[in-house]
Amino acid sequence: MFLKPTIGIETHIELNTNTKMFCRCAVVDTDEPNISLCPTCIGLPGALPVPNKKAIEFITLLALSTGCEITSKGMFHRKNYFYPDLPKNYQISQFDLPVGLNGELEIVIDENKDYIQIERVHMEEDTGKSSHSGSGRIESATSTALDFNRSGVPLVEIVTKPVISSSKQAVAYIEELRQLSIDLNISEGRLEKGNLRFDANISVAPEDSTELGTKVEIKNMNSLRSLERAIDFEIQRQTKALEDGVEIVQETRHWDENKEVTSTMRSKEGSADYRYFSDPDLPNMFLSNEFIKEVETLMPLLPKAQREELMTTGLSLSQSNILSKSDDWIKKLYVKVFDQTKDSVASYNWITGELQGQMRKANIEVLPEWFNDDYLSEIIELIKSNKISFTSAKIILTEILTTETTPSKVAEQKNLFQENDSEKISEMINQIIKENQDIVDRIKSGEDKLVGFLVGQLMKQSNGSVNPGMAKELLLKELEG
Amino acid sequence: MDASNLSIREINSLFTKKELKPSELYSKVFENAANSEAALHAHLTLFEEENLKKAAESDKRFSNGESTSLLDGIPIAIKDNINIKNYKTTCSSKMLSNYTSPYDATVIEKLKEQNTLFTGKTNLDEFAMGSSTENSAFGLTKNPWNTDYVPGGSSGGSAASVGARSSIAALGSDTGGSIRQPASFCGLVGFKPTYGTVSRFGLVAFASSLDQIGPITKTVDDSRIIFSSISGEDSRDATSVINNQLDIPSDNTATIGVIKELMEDGISDEAKNEVNKVVEILKSKGYKVKEISIPIIKLSISIYYLIAPAECSANLARFDGVRYGLRVDGNTSYEMMENTRAEGFGAEVKRRILLGTYALSAGYYDEYYGKALQARKEMIDEFAKTFKDVDYLISPTTPTQAFKSGEKTSNPLEMYMSDLCTIPANLAGLPAISIPTGLSKDELPLGVQVMSKPLSDNSLLDFSEIIENEVQFDGQPKGWL
Repeated sequence: MFLKPTIGIETHIELNTNTKMFCRCAVVDTDEPNISLCPTCIGLPGALPVPNKKAIEFITLLALSTGCEITSKGMFHRKNYFYPDLPKNYQISQFDLPVGLNGELEIVIDENKDYIQIERVHMEEDTGKSSHSGSGRIESATSTALDFNRSGVPLVEIVTKPVISSSKQAVAYIEELRQLSIDLNISEGRLEKGNLRFDANISVAPEDSTELGTKVEIKNMNSLRSLERAIDFEIQRQTKALEDGVEIVQETRHWDENKEVTSTMRSKEGSADYRYFSDPDLPNMFLSNEFIKEVETLMPLLPKAQREELMTTGLSLSQSNILSKSDDWIKKLYVKVFDQTKDSVASYNWITGELQGQMRKANIEVLPEWFNDDYLSEIIELIKSNKISFTSAKIILTEILTTETTPSKVAEQKNLFQENDSEKISEMINQIIKENQDIVDRIKSGEDKLVGFLVGQLMKQSNGSVNPGMAKELLLKELEG
Repeated sequence: MDASNLSIREINSLFTKKELKPSELYSKVFENAANSEAALHAHLTLFEEENLKKAAESDKRFSNGESTSLLDGIPIAIKDNINIKNYKTTCSSKMLSNYTSPYDATVIEKLKEQNTLFTGKTNLDEFAMGSSTENSAFGLTKNPWNTDYVPGGSSGGSAASVGARSSIAALGSDTGGSIRQPASFCGLVGFKPTYGTVSRFGLVAFASSLDQIGPITKTVDDSRIIFSSISGEDSRDATSVINNQLDIPSDNTATIGVIKELMEDGISDEAKNEVNKVVEILKSKGYKVKEISIPIIKLSISIYYLIAPAECSANLARFDGVRYGLRVDGNTSYEMMENTRAEGFGAEVKRRILLGTYALSAGYYDEYYGKALQARKEMIDEFAKTFKDVDYLISPTTPTQAFKSGEKTSNPLEMYMSDLCTIPANLAGLPAISIPTGLSKDELPLGVQVMSKPLSDNSLLDFSEIIENEVQFDGQPKGWL
């Protein structure tokens, strides 16, 4: 029996609006608790919610960018459950009339495109933060500290259909969604700050089964590593259970980061009754055609289109994908360097390989201000016109990342320009042959490997300034002649 | 002449002519309170000390001829479910017995701008749930006409206070008749404005889609003055509307409809007689009067007792002991919340929370809450149709005169029936007013209710004033001045 996993992902993205979803409190990024509060976001008696137009604009933008149908007559619902960090003990959310329905997101794995169907895109308000003493679980905590700074911060929730079949696909989906939210400028997209949090619904069923297996939900992951490992662990656990004939219980499980296992959080989640009903404090929200058109004008070039554009420069799908998920300055630098050099591979390799590699190694986060966009093009051109060697180019790059100078100045100062004059090189070759007659003899009697030794001698004597390609070519000609 | 018996306009005229000082009136009102509070218990808190300074400021404005507001120096009582900054808002619940509001309701801000004086906070049925002000955690309120009888509810404290002249006027809130019914029981004018014309921000919510703040006064003109001061669109209440008043005729070109279903079984002869009396007067003045049938009105109580409890079950979820109000300890957070709610809420509140929770539960929503929403919509449509034929609808305000304290406390259903005539206006969002018209054989006040289409509040008040003038009800409870 071959078992196939089916995964659906619910992602919460924290929107980067200035103010909260239903009050005018600032959204703050601080560890100091309870500094951005008002009667509405801590649920004082008599306080009322008023929707944040910007947040609805952001959610509409995300729904449009994933090709969702926009529900023009959307509605806010109350989702009722008791929890100490949920001030009203209901969360304002959306139920049967979300902002967006039935969308799709293109993802890339290596050189292949894939499409993840989106079920819905809807608005939600965030809860406060609880810190439970002891075990970290509310059931056994003797005290709980509450911070309501986050309470009421706007969230958008994106729910996929159960169409994901591996952790690899899940990770690619989250990477795509993260980049989309950054490019739409609706979120910082910082996983380490919890800007994106995801729950995965996982089930396993025989490959030929038309029905899905019993689903298990893993809650509240916020790193790609957790997502990947939790899914892999859960697929394995469920597969083994089925193979051993153990029944899988519908439940919510928790991913233990340290032990790298999932464990039961609460069972029978499926029977939780949130008693959704339309929030009488928030009359129906009409998204007019004018509003939708206005939002459409804010649409940037989406990652999918960026990839297509990058591929027209000659990059592969995976290269384009990597670039589309890079920081904005890297994307811009690529376009500039490619425009100047018309060499996509060199531009791509120099930027994503050498430049980023050296910056990482030297702990440089942003390019120094003297670092002119043209420098990389200059370096690439110098290599292509054989004026410097690849090794010299790396040395030049290191220098211009740390010192205010230019590539040609470095080449000059460090004497890195190559000797490309064949007569001069031939002269040097003759000299080397004279000094190493024994080696020449051995080459002639079949020890081909020793050609490298002669080239090495040549480079040494010329302080590496000789074009190594030319040197080898001329040397061989001389030896044959 | 006793100034506390006068209308707001008459008092203002005396202030302006410097024949009476606001501080003198303020003292007089507190003298009345001293005479009546022990017997009636209209106020939960009296503000006297704190407001003496403000009364003196009013004195100064009038003596300098600088006053610009009809409400300047007018002592008004506030129902204790409306927040006044730095004062307790208890909602007559043990749950909030120690709760002080850090902010003003919008209506309070508006009254403060008019330099109104507050006499204090008045008693109510806990969280405005009840029709007799017997469901208060702090003791019941008596009817100023006869202390064996209830003042009505839930704004019974406000009505009793105006009746006993311990305030010149009062604010109440009306979810199913909580302004009009006590006004009728106490021989006063009670006005529930069109839903959305008065901001609910700062009114502790019972049923958000039905709640509306309004005045309880001695005269229609007093209600008009207060309505014009407290109404207006509020950016802090998403359900508030721009108060664009419709002008419909109030003179004898208007057509009056008598609601057949509210003149049938279950309505006392005395109550019907008051309507007939008014109808005769209107006919004699040349108004066209006809009988109108709105069959769905018979479902009002059923619809109301699904929608209001459903909304209240979520609205009152925030009272959990976590952030404010009563906290009864427990071993875990959940136990603490359960203990708090078990001890903090009275029986009627619990009954309605349970009813509402049930009506919203999975499997029951469609059958109960969903059906109620549907029926409510039909009722709104029926009223809209009716108002194509008639300008005003007339009915008794209550099926009977005030009942005796304790008479209906053991029979909630019978208690609910006392709101039969008033509930439709809340379900349909209509403006509705109760005008005192006569006394029963037990010497207790009776009133008639007039309703009109949404946003015709001003015309409704004009028309009501005509009835008021014709009826010449000058009854006043004895023994408190």
